[in-house]
Amino acid sequence: MNAFWPRLMRIAEAREETADVRTLRLEPLDRDGGLEWRAGQFAFFTVFGAGETVFTIANPPTRADHIECTFKKLGKVTAGLHRLSVGQVVGFRGPYGNSFPVEEWRGRDLVFVGGGIGMAAVASPLRLALDRREEFGEVLVLNGARTVADLVYKEEMKQWARVGGVRVVRAVDPGGESPGWDGEVGLIPDVFEGLGVAPAGRVVIVCGPPVMFHFMLLALDRLGYPPENVVTTLENRMKCGFGECGHCNVGPFFVCRDGPVITADEFRRLPADL
Amino acid sequence: MDGWRLSDEQLRAWLASLFAGGRRVVAPAEEDGLVLLREVASAAEIRLDPRGRTRWSAKEFLFPATETLFSYTFDGDDVALERPPEVPEQVIFGLRPCDAAGAARLDDVLLVDELYARRRERTTLVSIACADADPACFCTAVGGSPAGTEASDLQFVPLDGAWVGCCLTERGAALVEGAAPLWPAAGEEDWAAVEEQRRAVEESIGAERLPAEWAGVLAEHFDGELWTVLGERCLRCGLCAYVCPSCSCFDVNDAGNALCGTLCRSWDSCGFAQFTKQAAGHNPRPTQPARYRQRVLHKFAWFPLEHGRFMCVGCGRCVELCPVGLDIRQAVNKVATA
Amino acid sequence: MSNRWEPKLVALVCNWCTYAGADMAGTARRTQVPNIRIVRLPCTGRIDPVFVLKAFGQGADGVIVSGCHPGDCHYVQGNMLARRRLSVFGELMHFLGLDRRRLHFAWVSASEGVKWSHVVDEATAAVREVGPLGRWSSSNRNGSTVFALPERGREPRSAPAADEVARVAAALRAQATALLAGGEVSVVAGYERGSLPGQMVPGFAADPVGVEALDWNERCASNLTVYLPELLKREGKIGLVVKSCDAKAVVGLVRENQLDRDRVILIGVPCAGVWEDGHLAAKCYACAEEVSPLADVSLDPASSGGRAVADDPRDAEIAALEALPATERWEFWQRQFGRCIRCYACRAVCPLCYCGTCVADKTRPQWIPVSIEGAANTTWNVIRAMHLAGRCVGCDACQRACPADIRLDLLSRRLANEIEIRFGYRPEQDPTAAPPLTTFLSSDQDEFV
Repeated sequence: MNAFWPRLMRIAEAREETADVRTLRLEPLDRDGGLEWRAGQFAFFTVFGAGETVFTIANPPTRADHIECTFKKLGKVTAGLHRLSVGQVVGFRGPYGNSFPVEEWRGRDLVFVGGGIGMAAVASPLRLALDRREEFGEVLVLNGARTVADLVYKEEMKQWARVGGVRVVRAVDPGGESPGWDGEVGLIPDVFEGLGVAPAGRVVIVCGPPVMFHFMLLALDRLGYPPENVVTTLENRMKCGFGECGHCNVGPFFVCRDGPVITADEFRRLPADL
Repeated sequence: MDGWRLSDEQLRAWLASLFAGGRRVVAPAEEDGLVLLREVASAAEIRLDPRGRTRWSAKEFLFPATETLFSYTFDGDDVALERPPEVPEQVIFGLRPCDAAGAARLDDVLLVDELYARRRERTTLVSIACADADPACFCTAVGGSPAGTEASDLQFVPLDGAWVGCCLTERGAALVEGAAPLWPAAGEEDWAAVEEQRRAVEESIGAERLPAEWAGVLAEHFDGELWTVLGERCLRCGLCAYVCPSCSCFDVNDAGNALCGTLCRSWDSCGFAQFTKQAAGHNPRPTQPARYRQRVLHKFAWFPLEHGRFMCVGCGRCVELCPVGLDIRQAVNKVATA
Repeated sequence: MSNRWEPKLVALVCNWCTYAGADMAGTARRTQVPNIRIVRLPCTGRIDPVFVLKAFGQGADGVIVSGCHPGDCHYVQGNMLARRRLSVFGELMHFLGLDRRRLHFAWVSASEGVKWSHVVDEATAAVREVGPLGRWSSSNRNGSTVFALPERGREPRSAPAADEVARVAAALRAQATALLAGGEVSVVAGYERGSLPGQMVPGFAADPVGVEALDWNERCASNLTVYLPELLKREGKIGLVVKSCDAKAVVGLVRENQLDRDRVILIGVPCAGVWEDGHLAAKCYACAEEVSPLADVSLDPASSGGRAVADDPRDAEIAALEALPATERWEFWQRQFGRCIRCYACRAVCPLCYCGTCVADKTRPQWIPVSIEGAANTTWNVIRAMHLAGRCVGCDACQRACPADIRLDLLSRRLANEIEIRFGYRPEQDPTAAPPLTTFLSSDQDEFV
């Protein structure tokens, strides 16, 4: 099979999360059967005329009749995706990569930390945990962004906050609050420390910009979270998705093939090439 | 050992017969003073030179510099996709053992994809062993040999004006089916001479085989200071990666317009500044020493740790052609013995 | 539907004059041939010749560039710069074997709708006469006869004697030691022996061990000025060994505000010429400057008298190419560019290719397709030469670096000669002189308007 051959998907819904972040809901054109993936896997999305780009599949496999992706307008292809309308066709190939070890989280308390567009990457396991609520313990969601206008999934977060045993904390960077902001103000690692959540076997799923991730790891260390309980999903420039093109090669590891999901423990053992 | 001893004329006659049946023939040919592997239209164009390697490897005929992955046409809101054209049968004649070894390493990485696999299975590799070496050659250091047969389907060894050939695979046998029964058999003394020549050329290369453990040693030196000095001369072009028989990194791009287009892949190099640059601007390898380190370690540490052999085949092209004289052998030696 | 070929033209027009004039032609219901597609730009001064190349590469058979009359430019001088730039580009097109009739330049104001129709009709007729451009790909792959450049004339001098070379090397090391020991510089960039026999490669000496490795001979071909920006990012002041040709690039870097001249000490080394494979490099035939006049410190020359020089052999090669019919010349260049693998070694070694994001790497829009073939290769090689027009100092580092042996030096030299003929300018002299393509005279010729 031509590994680059995309499956054609039609844009069924488009939601502008912020000025430059958009969520698309895609449905396959063909009737070749359902879509199958695990939470944390990613896919390539083709904008015909612009190229391919890579996102984590944002919806969980518990909602398997469509594919959702949430992305920020940063370059040529994401700009192309922003210009498309409902009804137009994009390409999809995937799923690729490994996935969050969700089964190992059963019965445990979970913490989901998403910074900026990183929230889209933790959305998939988070939504899965909420769909299978009774399998997991308490859930804490910490979502941060630069300003209030940059927060994503605004409506959905209100729904999450209403679920039993789920706590949603939203934060904006100092200076990013607007009048009447009732959430936290501060950088994510500081806000997290301020919440005073003890390790106690909790699994922390964290994703965000490199700087945020770096300081979150330090904070989690300070608070005594064992690194094997801290999980992230990596981002790299990618072109194939299956360990061939070389772009995401870091030491003996290919982010697309051996990741992108990785524990803080494994992350620290990789060469500093990320 | 079974094989044949051919004269120049006999070899040329066989080469001439290859053009029948719509097969594509790739062989060393001259172009503006350069000897390159080129698609040739007749045996007369083939440069049968027992000495010297072609400027570039055979890579472009197994893994083209640019290749269409699929084409698309717009139809209102819809899109119609089309597969790339079929690839023809081809014979690549006149590549060196190091080039063939490069093909084996390309296989390690690229056989996962059907486009490469299809082209590879329709390719017959006919190598020419080396009767000499130049100062940039070091195939023996990485487990190769001037008469190495890895990945070759047929091989001809130049020997005092004659060619001693042998068949290595079924694919090779199919290619000589008609002609071989008429060829004089090679005798014991021919094979002894081939062996003696191999030994002599290896001695002239004078490169000791790198211990396999060096892959691990180099991996441990990721954080070393040496990379700054080793990489400071590098000017971030892609020449070394592109002339290398085993480098396989590629970029995927869309080339289209309002009506139709293609998604293609093209050669890429870890030496380029934007190889790892992400859309948001973060670049995990922001300096040239970091990029040079990736080149050396990918070839001599990461790939071997996964696939069990060095990715470099010791052809020497990067050493000979680097505009600023970077020598990967020096980098490996300095780091491994630091 | 008729299968008869109709030329396709792209018109690059300025918003203020020609676009309005074309609009006027439309509202006045002027008839004209339907072969053009109009691209609106703020000013013809915005037109980078890569736009023209992209049009050709995408299937246009001809390009019209049209803007405001001299003196009327909405941005004062954009059209005057465009005039020079495209005139030089027209010469380059001719040198490549691209018929000049494929590129038209016109002044059409907002009220000249009638003139616009005429320009379009005439340009289309001219392109129709020339014929379709066809796909840009090397057709000449199978060894058929392609023009071979003439043999080089006799070299004007021979390689220097070994003791002279050793003398210079010793003097160089002494000079480097003095500069480092005196704290004047933190590193001296020069040459050292490479790993291959006879090979000389760039070397950076920051201490006595490094200085000991510095060496000099007639194989020191690289232009070390390419390292200046990177070295100066981390060093306060550096010493740089320069041949006469290399040093000229420093003038360009200073002129273009890329270099603080006070942070470099140029060490002028007496150069008898560069020998490659036993032959004197082409650029050295005509060079009479044994030591660079731009050097801050100079090592003693070999002799006080002049030395034998000869005409640069490239001029004869250029003349031979220009004597060919255009189609053969085009075949020659297509064969050259067909070998290009887009390794960008030419760009990497050039001291004046310092753009943070090269035009080849821009994605929005993608001026030069990423694919390594045909039109993309031609576009890259031509636009690189054109972007260096009036700036290139002829050190030939690009041509030496090219693994495909593409005669990039012929492109640079042809452009440099054109610039000298038209504007009396060579880039290596006065750092304050403005490169001709960044300025204009109202008396500039309008030759193809």
